[in-house]
Amino acid sequence: MKNYLDLIPISSKIHRRQTRMTRWCIVISVFLVAAVFGMADMFLQSQKNMAKMEDGAWHVMFRELDEEQTALLAVRPEVKTFARYAATNYKLDRDYKVEGVQTVLCGFDETFFAIYPGAALLDGSFPKEMGEALVSESMRVRLGLFVGDEVEVETPDGSLRFRVSGIVEDTAMMLQTDAFGVFMNTETYLSCFRDVTLQEDFVYYVEFVPRCRIQRAIRDICGQLHIPKEMVSENAKLMGTMMQSSDQYIWKLYLIALILAVLVAVAGMIEIWGSMNSSVAQRTEFFGMMRCLGATAKQVRHYVRMEAFYWCLKAIPLGLFASVVTVWGLCRMLQTLTPTWFSKMPGFGISLPGLVCGSLIGLVTVLAASRMPARKASEVSPLTAVSGNADTVFAAKRAAHTGRMHVETALGLHHASGSRKHLILLTSSFAFSIILFLGFGIGVDFMGHAIVTLRPYTPDVAIVSPDNSCAIPDSLYQDLRKNAHIKRIFGRSFSYDLPIRMCGENKTVMLLSYEDYQFGWAEEDLRQGDMESVRDGEGVLVVDKTGFEPEIGNEIELETKTGARKVRIAGILSHTPFDSGENVGTVICSEDLFLQITGETGYTILDIQLWDQSDSVVEEIRQMAGETYRFSDSRESNRETRAVYFTFSLFVYGFLAVVALIAVFNMINTIAMSVSARMRQYGAMRAIGTSVRQLQSMIAAETLTYLIGGLAEGFLFGLPLHYYLYRQAITERWGDAWSLPVWECLVIGAVMIISAVAAMTGPVRRIRDMSVVETISL
Amino acid sequence: MDIMEVNDLCKTYGKGEAKVEALKHVSFTLQKGEFAAVIGESGSGKSTLLNCIGALDEPTGGRILIDGQDLFAMTEEKRTIFRRRNIGFIFQSFHLIPELNVEQNIIFPLLLDYKKPDAGRVEEILDVLGLKERRSHLPGQLSGGQQQRVAIGRALITRPKLILADEPTGNLDRKNSQDVMELLTMASGQFQQTILMITHNPNLITSVDRVMQVSDGVLSNLGGHINEKLS
Repeated sequence: MKNYLDLIPISSKIHRRQTRMTRWCIVISVFLVAAVFGMADMFLQSQKNMAKMEDGAWHVMFRELDEEQTALLAVRPEVKTFARYAATNYKLDRDYKVEGVQTVLCGFDETFFAIYPGAALLDGSFPKEMGEALVSESMRVRLGLFVGDEVEVETPDGSLRFRVSGIVEDTAMMLQTDAFGVFMNTETYLSCFRDVTLQEDFVYYVEFVPRCRIQRAIRDICGQLHIPKEMVSENAKLMGTMMQSSDQYIWKLYLIALILAVLVAVAGMIEIWGSMNSSVAQRTEFFGMMRCLGATAKQVRHYVRMEAFYWCLKAIPLGLFASVVTVWGLCRMLQTLTPTWFSKMPGFGISLPGLVCGSLIGLVTVLAASRMPARKASEVSPLTAVSGNADTVFAAKRAAHTGRMHVETALGLHHASGSRKHLILLTSSFAFSIILFLGFGIGVDFMGHAIVTLRPYTPDVAIVSPDNSCAIPDSLYQDLRKNAHIKRIFGRSFSYDLPIRMCGENKTVMLLSYEDYQFGWAEEDLRQGDMESVRDGEGVLVVDKTGFEPEIGNEIELETKTGARKVRIAGILSHTPFDSGENVGTVICSEDLFLQITGETGYTILDIQLWDQSDSVVEEIRQMAGETYRFSDSRESNRETRAVYFTFSLFVYGFLAVVALIAVFNMINTIAMSVSARMRQYGAMRAIGTSVRQLQSMIAAETLTYLIGGLAEGFLFGLPLHYYLYRQAITERWGDAWSLPVWECLVIGAVMIISAVAAMTGPVRRIRDMSVVETISL
Repeated sequence: MDIMEVNDLCKTYGKGEAKVEALKHVSFTLQKGEFAAVIGESGSGKSTLLNCIGALDEPTGGRILIDGQDLFAMTEEKRTIFRRRNIGFIFQSFHLIPELNVEQNIIFPLLLDYKKPDAGRVEEILDVLGLKERRSHLPGQLSGGQQQRVAIGRALITRPKLILADEPTGNLDRKNSQDVMELLTMASGQFQQTILMITHNPNLITSVDRVMQVSDGVLSNLGGHINEKLS
């Protein structure tokens, strides 16, 4: 030993058990902070990846540029990638067809593939020559095309022939609308379709160089090239994940994220602070002894701080390592579950912001948190070492109230509330778990509003009557039902613009038929009435909307081909997935009643959900349906929706789980430390006849005090925070009014209560197993 | 009348070569109102003997009967309650409860039994101990001697069959040591309490009825009997 501070590692080794909990506390806090920040970082990275795959890697899109502006924009130093793009018949409302199938025609520069990583070239090469084109994969399959073949595109002005230079993936839109796609280079496109392309369909995509301040770059470009602001659109999702958005709402979300980040950091700080206090409190006699031996108050202060630093040397790397492993686990999970989206995500990526925040918060907190205990330790009188009354620095200032309750309960309460500072510190640390949980709970509401989820009735593929008539025969429905790969098939027949009389007024409705599955799914939207009688064909369902305020039992008179027919309103639905248009009502009936009313036996649409979603099965169904009907393939868009929802859920619930873990660890650690600090006292109590059961009650009373205080304080501050965040993130965007987050409160309340019960078991076992003689002779 | 009987008491720590025989076949009895002292060098086994008699430590062999009841034939819970009601402890380092005031510390064993303390008895003890003025003080506000007096009061409050005192003056100066010994002598004489005290201070044994010595785990009687003063 060369210095009195060399005592630190020796003392730490000898008092390993006493200091273990504090060291663990630092590890856990650093882990939690680094894990939350790391997860947030990975979340942003994953969202950025998804945004690039879905909407492209472009940051800004310009419209209506002249040739000079285009040329100047392309060579600007802040522009990394520039691509011209134009499209015709994108909405499939014009007469451009290949082999009778509606076809989208696009022209773009080769750099477009760098901007749209989702549009992968499956075969061949980019069409560099005039008269060459890429075709979509479904077009290749259905027309049996190969690279080098020719395709003929029928246009309103005659037909055009293109040589196939390569094959590209279908977009979700093309699959859903059963359309073909023909893509050529910009020069070919302009020579063929310049005159028929709408002005707004010429766009110029720009991807800026990394670390570019995009908003400033946009201002500069618009100013210098005289481009009006209205001609500029941002890739909102991507810019949002890059924190470069100009959207006010996105900035509100950044603010919310900042508030939550600060809360996480503070939670970590409070936890470390509490445990350091307890750690010092347990060793008053030791510090008294140091003072006895001649250490100055300053030296004791320095000793405590250096000791904290010594703990950090091992605890911080351990916490960081645990957080990295957790984040790796999450990344691997994402890659395994949704390889399409996250294959490019680093499986063993390191989140630098997470690690930096974790280490900084760990180090700064430990050093800052050691100030108060260091001061306390330096104030310990040298007499303490010899007086025999050195159990705790949180010395009682007033006596416990033993008059009105059992002595063990009174002492338990007093242990918790004897020192106001101690009580506030511990209840605040519990309260923080609740505040964090309610804060992060906003993520669930946000997810519910921002992300469209797949409904139980969402089909994988659909067969649609091309002219919206009931042209699909029941025989096709019956044949498809026998297919073993089909999980569910359900059809709807539509009759549009049907005149009716309702409450003495003439109105127009859309009549459609449901079968058993659809009636079942509609149950949750049934506001009033009885579904059974509608299923049996004795009545109809009417959707409540402006101008159509139905009442149960009222009759509707429908004008059918066979004359007027009266039907009773048996149920009222709040809404349906089908929009009938303005001033047109929606009436739903059974298939039998639809047949009676309209005389139609066929379906307008057959929705199909699949067990096996492979291409071969879809092709088999397509073959069965034939070419007469439009075939809509929603598998890709469903996958996208699922992927978005899945990643969001994973992170939102991941955050909530980490926050709940904070609550559990904190509670267990706090109670364990509190009991450890009083172990000698408990030993003495056992010696003079206190039973284990009575000590258990004492610890239960203490735990309950912290719990009740924590719950009260947590909800007192957590609910207003939830209200504020809800207003910022939800109400302002979607208009939904705030309501008490009952489920979140119940879940975190239950977590806290279960943690409290779990937190008592370890200390009670220690008390039961302790040797009274050894404990009191310590 | 024998209040305590120790028969063939053995206590061994460790196994094999590390085996230490702390107590070797110790047998003796104590009569009601007897004030006995056990002396011995450090590590001789005197504290082990006291801990076994107080049911804080379990002997390896032998029996301890207090008021005819075999301590180690009881369940742990029953033994704890028996200890609370029949054995009073006075420790060298007092072991008062810092969150309870003087009066509460004294009546603590009664509170553990959910009994209402007899106000007269509490007053009497406070008076005898000279703590009436300090009844509302917390242990942290008392001197060492005062704290040990509170511990004595706590040991007396339940009128236990036996009081065990482990170096009760070990942390006190001469004046306070003398006061404590006077209180213990008085408790033995006035309240007819049986007291077994451990000490290594030869000056203290002049006030006791009987002295025993433990040496290498073997107990020997150095003489004296009830009401006979050695000095």
